[in-house]
Amino acid sequence: MEVRLENLTKHFGKTAAVENFSAVLDSGELTCLLGPSGCGKSTILNMLSGIIPVTSGKIWFDNRDVTDMEPADRGIGLVFQNYALYPHMSVMENIAFPLEIKNVAKDERKERAHEMAKLVHVDNFLDRKPGQLSGGQQQRVAIARALIKQPQLLLLDEPLSNLDARLRIEMREEIRRIQLETGVTSVFVTHDQEEAMSISDSIILMKLGVLQQEAQPQELYDEPVNEFVADFLGTPPINKVFGHIENGGIRIDSGPLCKLSGLENVKEGHKVHLSIRAESFLVNSSEPVMDARVVRVFVMGKEKLVYLKLGDFEVRAYIDSDTELKAGDRVQLGLRRKGVFVFDAETGERIR
Amino acid sequence: MKKLKFSAILTYLFLILGAIIMVFPFFWMITGSFKTSQEVSVFPPQWLPKSLYFGNYKFAFETAPFARYFLNSVLVVISSVTVCTFTTILGSFAFSRLRFPGRSVIFGALLAMMMVPFEMLIITNYRTVVQWNIHDTLWALIIPFMSSIFYTYILKNFFDTVPDSLYQAARVDGCSDWKYLWRVMVPIAKPSLVTIILLNAIASWNSFLWPMLATSSATVRTLPFGLYNFVTEGGARNEVMMAAATIVVLPMLILFLFARKYIVNGVARGGLKG
Repeated sequence: MEVRLENLTKHFGKTAAVENFSAVLDSGELTCLLGPSGCGKSTILNMLSGIIPVTSGKIWFDNRDVTDMEPADRGIGLVFQNYALYPHMSVMENIAFPLEIKNVAKDERKERAHEMAKLVHVDNFLDRKPGQLSGGQQQRVAIARALIKQPQLLLLDEPLSNLDARLRIEMREEIRRIQLETGVTSVFVTHDQEEAMSISDSIILMKLGVLQQEAQPQELYDEPVNEFVADFLGTPPINKVFGHIENGGIRIDSGPLCKLSGLENVKEGHKVHLSIRAESFLVNSSEPVMDARVVRVFVMGKEKLVYLKLGDFEVRAYIDSDTELKAGDRVQLGLRRKGVFVFDAETGERIR
Repeated sequence: MKKLKFSAILTYLFLILGAIIMVFPFFWMITGSFKTSQEVSVFPPQWLPKSLYFGNYKFAFETAPFARYFLNSVLVVISSVTVCTFTTILGSFAFSRLRFPGRSVIFGALLAMMMVPFEMLIITNYRTVVQWNIHDTLWALIIPFMSSIFYTYILKNFFDTVPDSLYQAARVDGCSDWKYLWRVMVPIAKPSLVTIILLNAIASWNSFLWPMLATSSATVRTLPFGLYNFVTEGGARNEVMMAAATIVVLPMLILFLFARKYIVNGVARGGLKG
């Protein structure tokens, strides 16, 4: 089912949680709503589920306008961060509860609950209470409960945030497997960029209630439209140096002139931010764009992490483990084509 | 090691001493109820009766309608506790989950009313009961206790701790408020509810002042007031008084033994007194 959000706006009193948000979620895909806390991603999810009403705008499920529809009539499944399992019911009863409400016959209820339990791999714990399960198992039960009604849309609200690091990776792979197996259109809310990158078909990155960019994970990483997007993605965080345009290149504050192409149309003296991913530096390149001094070198095994001094700034660069470097060395730096972005210092917009 | 052992012995000594102080009156009451009048009055006192003598119970039941009192007590406790529990559940849910205008104002007003001591309410309650023409009937003992702000407050506090996401999950599945309340909230709140029911039942069973005022005929007397009446009218025969007191206390004693865990839990949790 295709989900369309048209100019969705939500105000809580005077504060705008979501502002004029439009997006299309493709059928059968898993879309991540990504952003720092307070960016409105959970608000959008709750509007999709119908738990909170919209201030203005429309929500379409295919050709159905569901904007003012009751949650129960929308045909959705909902998974919460804290699992929201009924503590007094067994796993079996929890999974079957949505069918119980719909007055489905007991035998069918049991059969379908079994099927679901098998899908999420909890069929060995059907008689246990949620309190006797681990966090990961509880979340599996919650997913089974959300899917048993065969919803058209599965909404997951930070489902992995309460799990420890190892389980989180296991469960995100599980969620992806279950989503692909069932083919259900899914929306996944998270503030963890790595989680979003690894799990989704498409990512919507948000900031303060406003959509920043909607793209496939790799595209979001490679072609950020503005500085916020570039800053948000990547581990370690992208390097940032400030400077201004000089002779078609960038003069880094109290540092070298970085000879970049493609800046010919920018006004001389214009203040810019240069963002470079750690893996985009080339040390001792044949086409150097600037020089820098090595501050520290960390051996990581498969590569080296080098701290370089560029004018007022220190940047982190991953380089080949064969390259011999020590603190104090001067190096000629080249830059790859990928992972180097220039942003307007005032607006944060990308300069191409 | 030795020190630890010593402190343990000391602890148990204190506990045993406390237990003796607490249990002795009950022991004296129950054994006394089976003694003949000679056995009661011998000096030095005799610990146990020579044989189980039921004459005191027989006498008590013959001179005062204890069976009637007992039945009245049971009727009043069961009906007032049942209705009160029901209204408490509904009220708590409304104040905890439903959004309606004036919710916090109304709840605040109710809490303020809780500060009014029961003894103050007795006069107005009495006037109401007389106006409704139900004084000196069992209704007068039941109707004023069909709701309780205190228990509503306790249960609401528990309902507040149940995460909102449970409610939302149920709503997405199409669960009505009514069904959510009985299928999810009430089962989760079972320990709290049992505590409330027990405390309420004990308070209702033991209540004395209100039944004394609101009723006068023997046919609608409950046990505590019946006992009082029996003692004042029947003269001071210790062994018979013991038998009558045993009749009054025994049901609650049995209830307490069975539900001890819940009562202690409830008192420990809310710091509340019965």
